[in-house]
Amino acid sequence: MKRTKSLAVVAGFAMVTLAACGGDGGGGTAGSNNPSEFINPESDFGKIADAEGPAPEVEGATTGGTVTVLVPGDPGPEDLDPANGWSVLGNSIQQALTHRSLVQFRRDQETGAMELVPDLATDLGRPNEDFTEWTFTIKDVNWENGNPITAEEVKYGVERTFDSETFTSGPGQVYSVSNFDCGEGYTGPQDGDCPGITVDGQDITFKMQGAFPDMDFWSTFMAIGPIPLENSEFPAYGRMPLSSGPYKIKEFRVNESLTLEKNPEWDAASDPARHQYADEWVFKFDQDQEKADQLLMSNSTASQSTVSTGLGATNVSKLRDALGDNFIQQTGQCVSYRTPDYTKITDINVRKAIAWGYDFENITLAGGNIPGVTRIPASTIMPPGMSGRKEYFPDGEQFTYDADKAKALLKEAGAEGFKLSFVYDDSDAEAKAAAEQEKKGYENAGFTVEMIPYQEDAYALWDDANSPINAKLNLRGVNWCSDWPSASTMLPPLVQTGQPYNTSYFSETEVDDRIKEIATLPLEDQAAAWGDLDELIGTKYLPMIPTAYRNDLFGAGSKIGGFTGDAAMSAIYYKDLFVLQ
Amino acid sequence: MSTPTMGSETLGQLSDEDVPDDNATRTPVSGKSPIKIALGRLRRDKVAMVCFGIVVFFVLVAIFASQIASLFNVTTQPGNPSQQLDYLNDGMPLKGPPYNGFDSEHPFGIAPKTAKDNLASWLFGARTSVLIATSATVVASLVGIVLGLISGFVGGIVDKIISFVTDLFLTLPFLLMALIIAPILNERFALNPDRYQTMQVISLIGILAFFGWMAVARLVRGEVLSLREREFILSARVIGMPTTRIMIKELLPNLVAPIVVAISLMLPAFIAAEAGLAFLGVGITQGESWGQTILQASAYFELYPLYLWEPLIGIVVLVLALNLLGDAIRDAVDPKTRR
Repeated sequence: MKRTKSLAVVAGFAMVTLAACGGDGGGGTAGSNNPSEFINPESDFGKIADAEGPAPEVEGATTGGTVTVLVPGDPGPEDLDPANGWSVLGNSIQQALTHRSLVQFRRDQETGAMELVPDLATDLGRPNEDFTEWTFTIKDVNWENGNPITAEEVKYGVERTFDSETFTSGPGQVYSVSNFDCGEGYTGPQDGDCPGITVDGQDITFKMQGAFPDMDFWSTFMAIGPIPLENSEFPAYGRMPLSSGPYKIKEFRVNESLTLEKNPEWDAASDPARHQYADEWVFKFDQDQEKADQLLMSNSTASQSTVSTGLGATNVSKLRDALGDNFIQQTGQCVSYRTPDYTKITDINVRKAIAWGYDFENITLAGGNIPGVTRIPASTIMPPGMSGRKEYFPDGEQFTYDADKAKALLKEAGAEGFKLSFVYDDSDAEAKAAAEQEKKGYENAGFTVEMIPYQEDAYALWDDANSPINAKLNLRGVNWCSDWPSASTMLPPLVQTGQPYNTSYFSETEVDDRIKEIATLPLEDQAAAWGDLDELIGTKYLPMIPTAYRNDLFGAGSKIGGFTGDAAMSAIYYKDLFVLQ
Repeated sequence: MSTPTMGSETLGQLSDEDVPDDNATRTPVSGKSPIKIALGRLRRDKVAMVCFGIVVFFVLVAIFASQIASLFNVTTQPGNPSQQLDYLNDGMPLKGPPYNGFDSEHPFGIAPKTAKDNLASWLFGARTSVLIATSATVVASLVGIVLGLISGFVGGIVDKIISFVTDLFLTLPFLLMALIIAPILNERFALNPDRYQTMQVISLIGILAFFGWMAVARLVRGEVLSLREREFILSARVIGMPTTRIMIKELLPNLVAPIVVAISLMLPAFIAAEAGLAFLGVGITQGESWGQTILQASAYFELYPLYLWEPLIGIVVLVLALNLLGDAIRDAVDPKTRR
């Protein structure tokens, strides 16, 4: 899953069980309370196909109250259309509270591990032997307006995501289009029915182009969920989508706030993971991080039921003392990359010079993170803990800041004084400070740097082929978290030709062919094959420079209970949250 | 004998006192212009002189910011946070304030997070402040004087139109307009990062002046309205002096006093406004600005108060000095006040 803030935040899915905090024996709680070192994600989620509602009660949970969630440094989703949901922030909120899909994640309250449980479907899907056909049975549940949710609507919801014009950078473009057998060139319901998706009563069957063993993971996305057949045109529907979860949308103000209220039509007995404890949720986007931190530390009446999705790393020690158990260091399979434009920077030595000229520690600190704790230097495209990951170094050893090495490489490439152009958000003090550090680092390493101030969504800019600003850039970036614990959600979206988050515009037939080939390999060989491909890309092409593996810090006031991290989403686990009365 | 209502020095040779014609025994009373008299009064005003000194100090700092910075060997380049800050604890500098004593390499300390030198930020912040406030004052007063003169002297429909425009501008909410215009400029000049910084300064001067000229215009118009019926203007008209000449040669010299007062009070207001806008994030984001530093420092007030005090004291002292100086000038040029 993708991103949130241009260069500082990401989104994602990871396969983590958390708990790997220094020497506490891998104990149970999600999130460590000891932010002195980086937590590596672990692999594997459990799968409980027969889990049934209602969800197990959270100890000490009380009902009522309003939860206020402050979202620092992130403008939030542009729309709430399920087909577009591909950001950590938006998905973690919508999947937990408003939108049900076929399958969902649940956090085991004993172990803190994430497990896959049914949602709208009665089980986790029934694949045939070679995973080319998956069948789900939809439960009898209702929309917020009382209409029943049908398998037909799920089919429509899935078909809708094939529309590449409307949902250009939705996840369906990657996973549905490349897996479901809808025929060549199918672009959604306007082309008629997708023959590969058949409905029989409440049963829905997906036919795949090849084996797709990860269909159960993919089914946790809202893109594999129902959409009403009527009145669901984008973009109007994206502003006020019908809700199927325990909460419905009361008000959505783009880049400002999202208010949710109880959905009386939601049936607790049908849902094995969600609760309906709080009366109301208020999400406030684009908050000031320092102010959010101060508010939480003040422990005022208002802040006691407040949650922050991004604590400032510089206040860590104070926040940890003030918040106690409601301070979470959350790991996820998240990586930050710098992506030199592959079409403009054609010499690999220049790309290596950029890697050596990236002043990791200073950039991390200026950006409000702690090197070695919330960010550690990265080397491979796949994050630690991902099965098949091969530890290798693109240039023989770990990239650290080395101006002389960068200069030597530039000289070798005959590109001394090479000009790098990148955007930064000059309205955000931290982003600006980090960009200034980066500039200084590159300049000392023999580059010339042009920083272009840009205050809107950088991903939209990088994806816009017609933008004159984008045409000027030759250094972009991407922050990525795996969508589920498989390298197939890391490598293809980032390096395949034409993918929206392939911001280096990398395109090599060798790599594209290999990606297609790996999908046809026997399942047990795939993980290792991804690891090999990662190494091949890194050492032969180096189209993207992994700059950091990421941890995030979440916090909540003293009256918030059930506050835990979601290792699958690298986000807050909203499903168990309640306000102590 | 009655004492003249005004000091003899004000009236000079026009005084109804007997003018001593005996040059041999007494030095002649030299003709003093009202401005000279006012300056004389100012010079005797201790508060005004202290304030004037402070203002001159800040102006010198602004002009020679780069030289002073290189004298102290500091730059506005970001530092090395990984080496200079104790980031595993609370991110405060390892050397210098707030926990350690004076650090001669960084006399004002360094900023948390970026490890940027505070003295350099302060010096260039002063330059930004003084440059923007001065330019905005010049532009605003020029616009105000011209419009006020025309409006007051020409009268009629011209006066009505200009007065309407003045009132219209007074109703526009300054802060709101500034908040709207800043992102528009950002978009327009994003492709020219080299010119972006200059454009930001120019546009800020523009915005400040755009919303600052009305007071001067109204003041000048009022003065002109009362002056234009006076005898010397009437006689100038009678002898056929062209209107522009009447305005510039006859009216303007009589308006110097109120204009100087208005300008001297406009300056501090613009300095405060510049810092305020920067604090809100719509002023200067490129380069240094006191308001920006205050914004960043407000988060560290508990841990690192010095970081906040530096720009704050800069603004307070400069604005206070300018205000007091403005008051003193007003007192000095107003013949009715006596001290």
